[in-house]
Amino acid sequence: MKKSIAVLMGGRSLEREISIKSGQRISNALRNLGYEVAKLDIDQSIIDNLKAERYDLAYIALHGKDGEDGTIQEMLEVLEIPYTGPGVYANVFGFDKIVSKQIFNKLDIPTPEFYFLNASSFRELGASKILPQIVKKLGLPLVVKPSAQGSALGIKLVEKEEDLTDAIISALGYSKKVILEKYINGVELAVSIIGKDKPDVLPVVEIVPENNFFDFESRSKIGDTEYFIPARISEKEMKEVSDTALAVHKALNCTDLSRVDIMLGENDRVPYVLELNTSPGMTDTSLLPMAAQEAGISFEELVDKIVKMALE
Amino acid sequence: MSRKITFDYWKHLYSSRTAGMVSSEIRDLLSLSARPDIISFAGGLPEVRALNYQKLERYIKRSLKTDGDISLQYGDSTGYYPLRTKLIDVMRLEGIKADEEDMVTTTGGQQALDLLAKIFINSGDTVITEAPSYTGALNAFKAYEANIIGIPVGDKGIDTKKVEKTLEDLAAKKTQVKFIYVVSNFSNPSGFTISLERRKKLLELAKKYNTMIIEDNPYGMLRYEGKAIPSIKELDAKKDGRNVIYISTVSKMLAPGFRIGWIVAPHPILEKLTLGVQSAVLCNSTFSQRIAYEYFSDPAWKENITEFIKIYKKRRDTMLSSLEENFSGIADWSRPEGGFFIWLKVPDYLNMKEILADAVRKKVAFVPGTGFYADGRGTDTARLAFCTETRENIQKGMKILAKITKDKIKLYKSFK
Repeated sequence: MKKSIAVLMGGRSLEREISIKSGQRISNALRNLGYEVAKLDIDQSIIDNLKAERYDLAYIALHGKDGEDGTIQEMLEVLEIPYTGPGVYANVFGFDKIVSKQIFNKLDIPTPEFYFLNASSFRELGASKILPQIVKKLGLPLVVKPSAQGSALGIKLVEKEEDLTDAIISALGYSKKVILEKYINGVELAVSIIGKDKPDVLPVVEIVPENNFFDFESRSKIGDTEYFIPARISEKEMKEVSDTALAVHKALNCTDLSRVDIMLGENDRVPYVLELNTSPGMTDTSLLPMAAQEAGISFEELVDKIVKMALE
Repeated sequence: MSRKITFDYWKHLYSSRTAGMVSSEIRDLLSLSARPDIISFAGGLPEVRALNYQKLERYIKRSLKTDGDISLQYGDSTGYYPLRTKLIDVMRLEGIKADEEDMVTTTGGQQALDLLAKIFINSGDTVITEAPSYTGALNAFKAYEANIIGIPVGDKGIDTKKVEKTLEDLAAKKTQVKFIYVVSNFSNPSGFTISLERRKKLLELAKKYNTMIIEDNPYGMLRYEGKAIPSIKELDAKKDGRNVIYISTVSKMLAPGFRIGWIVAPHPILEKLTLGVQSAVLCNSTFSQRIAYEYFSDPAWKENITEFIKIYKKRRDTMLSSLEENFSGIADWSRPEGGFFIWLKVPDYLNMKEILADAVRKKVAFVPGTGFYADGRGTDTARLAFCTETRENIQKGMKILAKITKDKIKLYKSFK
């Protein structure tokens, strides 16, 4: 009998459009693989929709809020429907960049120096007065980003101190907390990891954005960013980068798959972890499928692998 | 061995004009507004449900039964003649006298803009628009690599003093302005209507500087109060009738799904436009035009306009009173006498794009103002479409928007 899979896509997150693209592509692959597929948008009726049929598996093609922050995973746990990708723990801690960076610090996994502030600290505690000290500590340029948001929405590179306020307020439009992070100049790398007990590191992708900063526009526009695979770094550096990514994957208990974004410092050659993605994009320009392809795994094989791991 | 990954193999083949065609973060944010649980002040979507679908069904049947051979065939590049005779009557209601020979039908008002851009704009040519102006027009002009000069608007429409100064300066530099594009009634996005005095002034300037005015009038029929102002086209007709190209559409009088617009222009320009239609689409949809002909042949179509006006007026009133209730003291807004849109202006330091990011998470959408400026201005503005949502939703959505805006203002002030 054909296994029946609900592909969860769309949703309420700001990355809805990317999720729909991922979900569409995954659904096609699943059909070609012979599965029974239902595409489900995440809204008020999702529980009813999930209960309406006896699904063997939920394929999570969601990005951002709800899909990548543990919400949907927790609901699926309650409904006892197996799902793809990492579990609740990895999603909850991976999605909040402040929490995950604290974990990296604790485990001596390098991550750019940072401070975080929340909206109420500005409104009620006069936090804006400590910004000059933060700038002094981190130096300029620095990166301002919302604590919980994917696809680089709301991320800004601040080069002049006078632009800091706007960047913070902008980031706070996406999340209640904001991270001010030391800008690391270097080689931007995406490390995809797949597998259960002994996870494999797929070929590392090097990202070269046209405007030197990988923001939302360049992430979503074809042709503006250049990718090199495997990354043009030394063998020793490749090993360090891979080990670091694996350490992140394990620290946050990322069963099955993850993508770790790393900046390899230009001078110190330290692999600084920027963030962990528990539901990496699966569109035709996404990094995980790109890395898999390089490892000789076609998109369909990749999807099948993810499904089989989840069903184990 | 490392290799470069290429997604788009054809980058080296694209024309330079594609550089101006870009996607944006705002578009991604607005993709959320397509969801049914979102209160959307984003799209200017006509209330097509107010139409009598049974009647439309009859029109379609008749188009096939009595005229199938014509309806389904290629047609005249200038447009389906019987429809043109009806559109003449439509325009007459707004005081515009034209003949069937003076017009060409297009695929919506948007194709009219594209065709006009195509026949007038060489790369780098200068055109003048309102600022803010209709995004579809800006995109059409940008696609032909126009240099767009945006002139500010106020409650009397485009600032004609600034238009004059701009034309003067450009003339001194021997720069010919190809045309001045305006939405004369209840403009998209601002909701402003150009006053009679300013219409006359614009026309005078167009004649003095030997240029054209493109008068786009999609909303003229949807006036909820006040007296109609003669169109610039009509004013020009009283002179030599040389300087105005008039565009309209059936989208707001019938439905946008028909994709029918039209252009009235001096004959030499029409000839170029007809050639433009031929190279773009050969002819516009005969079937669609044939059905629209049935619609406008039935005198009841005017009752639909009355019904539309009734619906939209209520919604506009609700939005205006919601603005009064929630935004007094923190923002300014336009008070349109018709059309679909209200223009909101918040304190300079706020960025409506950031407010949108917050708003869509709280299930309210609108269009941030920057998209209506050719040069990225207008971060402190937004377009609110009142035509789509119910009274309850408008009240609820405006409350949410005001709360977000007030929180942002508070946050900003904490930095001072």
